Amino acid sequence: MAGGDVGAPRQARHGNKLHKAKRRLNVRIDMTPMVDVVMLLITFFMLTTVFNRPQTMEINMPPDDAKVEVAESNLLTVRVATGDRIFWNLGVEPPRAVPFADFRRLLVERLAANPNLITLVKVDRASTYAAMVDVMDELNLASITRFSLGPFQDFDRELIAGVAAP
Amino acid sequence: MRRKKGRVNVFIDMTPMVDVTMLLLTFFMLTTQFLPPAEAEIVLPSSNSAIKLPESDVMTISVTKDNAIYLNVDSQRLRGELFGAENALKAGIRVDGAEQLANYLVQARTINPKLRTVIKADKAAPYGPVQDIMDVLQRVKISRFNLVTELEGA
Repeated sequence: MAGGDVGAPRQARHGNKLHKAKRRLNVRIDMTPMVDVVMLLITFFMLTTVFNRPQTMEINMPPDDAKVEVAESNLLTVRVATGDRIFWNLGVEPPRAVPFADFRRLLVERLAANPNLITLVKVDRASTYAAMVDVMDELNLASITRFSLGPFQDFDRELIAGVAAP
Repeated sequence: MRRKKGRVNVFIDMTPMVDVTMLLLTFFMLTTQFLPPAEAEIVLPSSNSAIKLPESDVMTISVTKDNAIYLNVDSQRLRGELFGAENALKAGIRVDGAEQLANYLVQARTINPKLRTVIKADKAAPYGPVQDIMDVLQRVKISRFNLVTELEGA
């Protein structure tokens, strides 16, 4: 190994005269163990570092006191009941069930039919948070940016009670 | 001068290599952010939303799947001011009831008005507590907040 030249005198090749000149020691430090350690540290930091920050979904809520009048024909009500069942209705029509797979297509169609559509989402308290996120995700994907969240009340429950599952 | 047929004793100078690796090391050490310790484990729901979570000034309201609500802020100093010095190193405190949550939210916003509010709820959590939190947020005039999700398919 080259470690042998630590402290080797520079002029040794010129002959072996034993003269003690005051000269700088040509110190060569073997860097290999240092590289090993540094590489280990790099691997550690590379593996522990978090590059992917979680995604978020932004929600803007109108202030409590803001009341907006909406024509009933422009109002699309989406109700999310327990068991991830989705019901929708326009205005005062009776609610209809829609499977989650067809939900986005329905939203796009409704929005195309009426660009002034306002969506009201009502999620049952006993339903899961994931169901609500899924519905809002579909709304975002259908580029419905104007929607509001309303409380799911007892009459909503009664309203969808008689509707058959899709 | 006889050429000996033997292994050539090659000494590779490692110094430039050390320089480079040290630079890399410094980079990773400075950019690393350790996974923040969580008070409770939360499985996030997935969505297609691509907005990133802000890096600083975040106030997190966590909802676990057993409906426990935790409040956390990302700066240790603010945590100390808000929850008392003994809780400064904890990963948030448990909140009971809407009143307490509202008080904390107002206090936190007074100390640091730049705080962004995020709701981090478990996938399996019922919607009820989340709705309560959103009602509280609306009451304390936090009209813009984010829901933490995971990228779909990731």
